[in-house]
Amino acid sequence: MAQETEPKTERKTERKTGQPKIESGAAGHGAEPRGKRTDDGQATYLIAIAEALWEEMERDERVYMLGEDIGVYGGAFKMTEGFLDRFGSNRVIDTPIAEETIVGMAVGSAMEGLRPVAEFQYADFMSSGFDEISTVLGRYHYRSGVPLPVVLRGPSGGYVRASSFHSVNPEPWFAYGGGIKIVCPSFPADAKGLMKSAVRDDNPVMFLEHKWIYRRIKEQVPTDPDFLVPIGEADVKREGTDVSIVTYGALVHKSLEAADNLAERGISAEVVDLRTVHPIDEETVLRSIEKTSRALVVTESYRFVGIGAEVGATIAEKAFEHLDAPVTRLAPPNMPVPFSPTLEDAFLPQVADIERAVEELSAW
Amino acid sequence: MATEVDPTAAPSSPAETPGAGRTLSDDVLVEMLHMLKLCRYFDERMEALYRQGRLPGAIYSGRGQEGTHVGVAWALRDDDSLFPTHRDLSAQLAKGLDLKRVMAQFWARIDGYTRGRDGNSHIGDWAGTRTFTVMSHLPIAYPVAAGAALAYKLKGEPNVALAICGDGATSNGRWHESLNTSAIFRLPVVWVVNNNQFAYSAPNPLEFPTPTIAERAVAYGMPGVRVDGGNVLEVYEATRDAVERARAGEGPTLIESVSLRWRGHAGHDPAKYMPDELLQKYMADHDPVRNLEDRMLHEGVVTSEQIDEIAKRVEAEFEEGYEYALASPFPEPDDATKGLWVDDGYWTSEPGRGGGTEAG
Repeated sequence: MAQETEPKTERKTERKTGQPKIESGAAGHGAEPRGKRTDDGQATYLIAIAEALWEEMERDERVYMLGEDIGVYGGAFKMTEGFLDRFGSNRVIDTPIAEETIVGMAVGSAMEGLRPVAEFQYADFMSSGFDEISTVLGRYHYRSGVPLPVVLRGPSGGYVRASSFHSVNPEPWFAYGGGIKIVCPSFPADAKGLMKSAVRDDNPVMFLEHKWIYRRIKEQVPTDPDFLVPIGEADVKREGTDVSIVTYGALVHKSLEAADNLAERGISAEVVDLRTVHPIDEETVLRSIEKTSRALVVTESYRFVGIGAEVGATIAEKAFEHLDAPVTRLAPPNMPVPFSPTLEDAFLPQVADIERAVEELSAW
Repeated sequence: MATEVDPTAAPSSPAETPGAGRTLSDDVLVEMLHMLKLCRYFDERMEALYRQGRLPGAIYSGRGQEGTHVGVAWALRDDDSLFPTHRDLSAQLAKGLDLKRVMAQFWARIDGYTRGRDGNSHIGDWAGTRTFTVMSHLPIAYPVAAGAALAYKLKGEPNVALAICGDGATSNGRWHESLNTSAIFRLPVVWVVNNNQFAYSAPNPLEFPTPTIAERAVAYGMPGVRVDGGNVLEVYEATRDAVERARAGEGPTLIESVSLRWRGHAGHDPAKYMPDELLQKYMADHDPVRNLEDRMLHEGVVTSEQIDEIAKRVEAEFEEGYEYALASPFPEPDDATKGLWVDDGYWTSEPGRGGGTEAG
């Protein structure tokens, strides 16, 4: 674990046993304020990312934001609450519902020296801006040499009873095209440091914020305005010796919970948080496999051509001689994410699923 | 004269008026004529080389539409930006691209503007002439032009972005998004539609239901102007007015410049769908190169000897570009995967020149 001590997280993961429950306002949007750090300095993931954006806006006047409902309303998840008052309407721009144009305007303004941070209200709607993202943002620099310091950010992922169009993990769509770094942090401190790195990066960065984590996970988060977490580096969140769980996003937390439970049964699981899914930190992943000889790749992105497929193939290709068991994937099928709690819980990987998969791997 | 379109009126045909007034000096007109003739000659020679199998890749002829291209580019300052399509190479040349490097691009050489990473008119020169490197999807550069214009507005810079697309691209959702958004924010941008009457094989009535494209500006609360693309001065003056309006903070303008696509969509397309009568009419009445030449001869701005000299200058420039292109090396194979990210420094250093001049 990077911090060497167990992170102070509040894990409220629902168990698969018992009745599934529907949380009100489950998708995370609503009028609740973003909130503040606790008295002892802990910040939620939502607060940590907002701090990063705020500090970078303070640091560099070329940084500005555009997106739907980010100004007066403060964002559907309240990420940008208070930004309009502080930075004004020239730096916090409410746009019409025009995703291709939001991306295109980010690109064009970056060509002219600004550093835009464009919000997608949900990462699902990145598909509405797909062409400007994949064709222009991802491919323009290779052909022209013009840097595009653009950040596209948005809430992704499921476990919040938000169904097919508010639960997408779009990272494989864009990782495939290349040219855009893709960041999927799981902890508040990582999220803050990675967002600051993203804003300072001269390449395009897609920053996917897992909405299940927003208000659930909090920890101590550095206040140094130059606290950066490098893009492209994975982090071992829990040391172990028997099996490596390679994962990212909300599933880091579910994997940590599974690892706790497995430890009680004498199985030592290591949890590797990719943090950046493109480019993948192969070195950290392979080092973990060398140690444990067993790999479970757990993703919320689909099994078929998902991030886990790439990670699994890399392990099979480059760590073959270290493996004592087949590389195993735990991931949903490439189908729409369903709404009803019984369906969503069955569809997405759960703590119990991870435990079962690790036990099967350990039996080899 | 350019006409602001009244959507309730009957559709006008292009060039009902004989020509715009003259606000450009004689010397400037001579340069404009040179540029028109250069663009025409380039277009014709490149197609000939393509048909002889001596030119790799693809070509997208802009013949017959040079009045639109040169007219709009002429209205821009150096710091203004241009967002063209594959059809608009003439506009890029008029904005200042180096013909030699353009030809190196067509022959896939390292001295092309994209260093061999793209071909033909998928070209641009942001660092130099502030033209966007063309992409195929339509109208993909429209939202990007809105972004450049947004930057000018946010930074308080007196620049203007001008984007061109064809009539076909006006059917795409991004066209609407861009016009709508630019009008909401009163961005310093000029939207030009090169209405050459065909989207590949589809004629105007299969692309939009209104008599004109310009009248669609009403829906966005901006002026819509329709001009004759066969009259470069009319295009220039309408664009100049729109650019001035944008620069003054009064927002965007839509300009529809009507011409005809004389050749197929691309070099491989014989365009059998094009009615011959229509083509003959446009080639006879709306040839922007001959129209300006005739007018300048008629007004005594140039003599036929001077016209011959321009033609010779154009030929020499082409030959120089051709020799330059074929002498320029191909990119080195090891560079294929460089320059995706800023970090490797590929684009801020001189590229390798060891690729030779013969491709495998």
